[in-house]
Amino acid sequence: LEIHQQGSLYPALYRLEHQGWIASEWGESDNNRKAKFYSLTANGRRRLHSETEKWNRMASLIASILRTTSEQI
Amino acid sequence: MNLLARFRSWLKWVVKGRKLEAEMEVEVGFHVESYAADLMRKGLSQQEALRQARIEFGGIESHKDAMRASVGVRCWAELGSDLRYGARMLGKSPGFTAVAVCSLALGIGANTAIFSTTKTILLDSLSVPRPEQLRVLRWEFPGDQPMHSLSGDLERTKAGATTSSSFSYPVYEALSQHGETFENLTAFENDIPEVVASVDGYAESVSVQLVSGNFFSTFQVTVAQGRALLPSDDVVAGGGSVAVISDAYWEWRFARSPAAIGKTIEVNHIPITVVGVAPPSFTGPRPGSGPEMFMPLSMQPIVDPSVYEGVNGKHEDGEVWWLAVVGRLKPHATDTQALASLEGGFAQVVKTTLTSKGHKDVERLRLLIEPGNRGLEKLHNEFTETVRVLLVVVGLVLLLACANLANLLLARSASRKREWSVRLAIGAQRSRIMRQALTESMILALLGGAAGLVPGYLGRNLVPRVLHQTAPVHFDWRVMAFTFAISLLAGLVFGGFPAWQATRTDVNSGLKDTGHTTTGGRSKALVGRSLVVVQVCISMVLLTGAGLFLRTLHNLMHSDRGFQSEHLLLFDLGLPETQYKTVASRAAMFRQLQAQIGAIPGVKIVTFSGHALLAGSSSTTNFDPDGQKFPQHKHAWRNIVGTKFFETMGIPIMAGRGFSDDDSEPSPKVAVINLRLARALFPDENPIGKTFNSEHIRIVGICGDAKFRDLRMDPPPTYYTLYQQFAAGNSATFEAKAVVDPASLTGAIRNAVRTLDRELPITNVRTQDEQIDGTLRRERLFATLTSGFGVLALLLASIGIYGIMAYTVSGRTNEIGIRIALGAQTGQVLRTVLREAWWLALAGVGVGLIVALAMSRVIQSMLYGLRPTDPITSAAAATLLVAIALAASWIPARKAARIDPIHALRHE
Repeated sequence: LEIHQQGSLYPALYRLEHQGWIASEWGESDNNRKAKFYSLTANGRRRLHSETEKWNRMASLIASILRTTSEQI
Repeated sequence: MNLLARFRSWLKWVVKGRKLEAEMEVEVGFHVESYAADLMRKGLSQQEALRQARIEFGGIESHKDAMRASVGVRCWAELGSDLRYGARMLGKSPGFTAVAVCSLALGIGANTAIFSTTKTILLDSLSVPRPEQLRVLRWEFPGDQPMHSLSGDLERTKAGATTSSSFSYPVYEALSQHGETFENLTAFENDIPEVVASVDGYAESVSVQLVSGNFFSTFQVTVAQGRALLPSDDVVAGGGSVAVISDAYWEWRFARSPAAIGKTIEVNHIPITVVGVAPPSFTGPRPGSGPEMFMPLSMQPIVDPSVYEGVNGKHEDGEVWWLAVVGRLKPHATDTQALASLEGGFAQVVKTTLTSKGHKDVERLRLLIEPGNRGLEKLHNEFTETVRVLLVVVGLVLLLACANLANLLLARSASRKREWSVRLAIGAQRSRIMRQALTESMILALLGGAAGLVPGYLGRNLVPRVLHQTAPVHFDWRVMAFTFAISLLAGLVFGGFPAWQATRTDVNSGLKDTGHTTTGGRSKALVGRSLVVVQVCISMVLLTGAGLFLRTLHNLMHSDRGFQSEHLLLFDLGLPETQYKTVASRAAMFRQLQAQIGAIPGVKIVTFSGHALLAGSSSTTNFDPDGQKFPQHKHAWRNIVGTKFFETMGIPIMAGRGFSDDDSEPSPKVAVINLRLARALFPDENPIGKTFNSEHIRIVGICGDAKFRDLRMDPPPTYYTLYQQFAAGNSATFEAKAVVDPASLTGAIRNAVRTLDRELPITNVRTQDEQIDGTLRRERLFATLTSGFGVLALLLASIGIYGIMAYTVSGRTNEIGIRIALGAQTGQVLRTVLREAWWLALAGVGVGLIVALAMSRVIQSMLYGLRPTDPITSAAAATLLVAIALAASWIPARKAARIDPIHALRHE
């Protein structure tokens, strides 16, 4: 994951949790340290689904625009 | 769904903020350490790895802040810091804070005090179980009252009908028989008479509420001590000598001693047993006034013999309407059903008890039913009116205080322009600045509100006490809520504009040193000026009110009374009926008292009368001259007096003669009538020698008109008869004309009375002037409060004018400097500044005049001897305000005139 500052991830995570799309849980990491685990909630899954749909629709639209040739215009 | 999740998450943060903060710390720490561990695995040293991890993570604190913001709790933390910062800023200018908080505290305090009184008087239900079931009965009649004698309330509706809540005893009995829709119907005297009660030999005057036997069960009042009055107490006229006393009376006479129950006290010299104490919450069926004792209706001949003059205790008399009737409706019964069930019986009893006396149209007497949850309140209760006027006055004062606050805040935000500019320049959002400013004004407002609770609490009983009302004013959570609400409102509304103004700071010009330029802040000054105009306007209204009430008081005090009130000492005296049974014995005793008191050195002349003058008491009777073909059934006022009444009171005899010692019990009955009565009933003939009321009372003289009941009422048509010929009551007021200070005679008079009868208490000793003052309590209260608030208004307005003028002058320093440099004279500069103040004041006075005129119509009925548009009052108030405005702007004007041009030009 390449982001400008790694810390920016956290406000985003918090916002998602605040909106009820992901849930967090404290647990044990691989090396036996206390760590927080994030998982999608049912609501979040639905939201992801609908956002994915939207994205795909948009992507296909853009793709179809890019495929048009000059005669078609 | 989403909203719910957000709210839950927000709430979690608010409630468990500390724990979640700690977890956030751990989470971020874990990230950095894990990443550092990864980097170390790549071969970096521990120190270098940690450094690298932190750099790549970014600013830890700013990310944490963003995390808080994303769950919506950052505003929480911001509020805390705003509060801390605001408090620090206010602390830094204690003068400003003190003035703002004090003026608000005064305005809010006055409102709190008046509101707590208002709430008790106008809003609270009686504190009895289920007050919403109570109903008050009332009647309405098109035309003059159809019954011979009526006591209690009587009002005239706009349509010309008369209406009252007083009924006769026969009517009450009939209503009770038809009251199927009521659980109970109770009757009580529609008046609270004063009696002389002596406890352990100490006599004093207390008020008594006469009630029917089922009074306590109807109101469902449980007594705090002993027992309530029962129907078995109220059986035989003159019997049932028991009383339930009020909590207040128990407190101040018996010090809450349980021994009070069963104690025998004397009421009008008849022994009465105290059987119970009413609970503190129940002060009687009338909000705003409470009797000291409740006694059965059967005690009427002893407690209030004047109801049935001469015919002691004959409750059957259907012509005497004196009882209020209150019922408790059965659950689910409606007003319509209740009225329907009562109407038949009512019409029947009215017909049999009133028609027999020859009154016409009594079938048009209509029964009405009204909600009784607030007990028996008269529609135009004097107290209600007073409280309403006071509410308006204190409302204006609050508005004034708020305008002052807004003006102070505006000036302050102008002086903090630089600070706002710096904050904006380094990236503060405008909304943050606005919130900061609003927080500060809210702190001020809430401080003012909290401080206002103190004068509010202290002043809550002021109005009832001045008006001699005994209603306990409850200072409960609703009053607190009211105070809190007006503080919030004041802070929001009047702090809102200055706060918004603060956000409009122009960073560029704000950062430049000057702060004051000729063009900058024009709109701010405009708002400031409008506020000053508003202040002057409110002051004008308050001053006009003060002027009107002061002049009313002055007019009343200096109105022609028709008699000489100077050097008159008054006292009341009641002869115990047990000892002085016959009229002759009472007349003889009064004559002896007159002689004995008249012999005291320092007493010039002494008399007595049934009614003291200007004491709010009076009685009216029929006055029908004999031998008239068409009897007019006129009413006249009557006072039963001693032989020397006219000489003592200084009422001139205009024709015929006054009374003399030759008018004795056996000699023909005589009367003296006043000019007004003579003109009204004998317009074309000489009344002297005529007789009236078929009683062979002969008119022997005509006297001058004298005021009777109160100062506001013009002398009514009045006739006077002699006590020895019409000895109705056993008590009288003595009037002694003194040649020395009347108050110094009290001891001598007590001794003189004691030589005749050791047991005779004299009560209520006062001078006639004190007596008159007592009837002017309300006028005095208004005059004092409105003048006090008027002065306060002047002070606030002058602060406002001074502030705005000083602000203008300092903003124009440069310009004025140039003017002076170009040759303007001191006088010219002075005039320029004063002219502006003059226009401001004039605008405020003009608007205020219109508002005052509109509002003074409401108080028209409370004025005396002047119209609400009184030009003298308006002119005086306007002159005073303009003078104060000019005086307040004098200092800034002087400062402007003394500006040194060289200094001023460098100033920029």
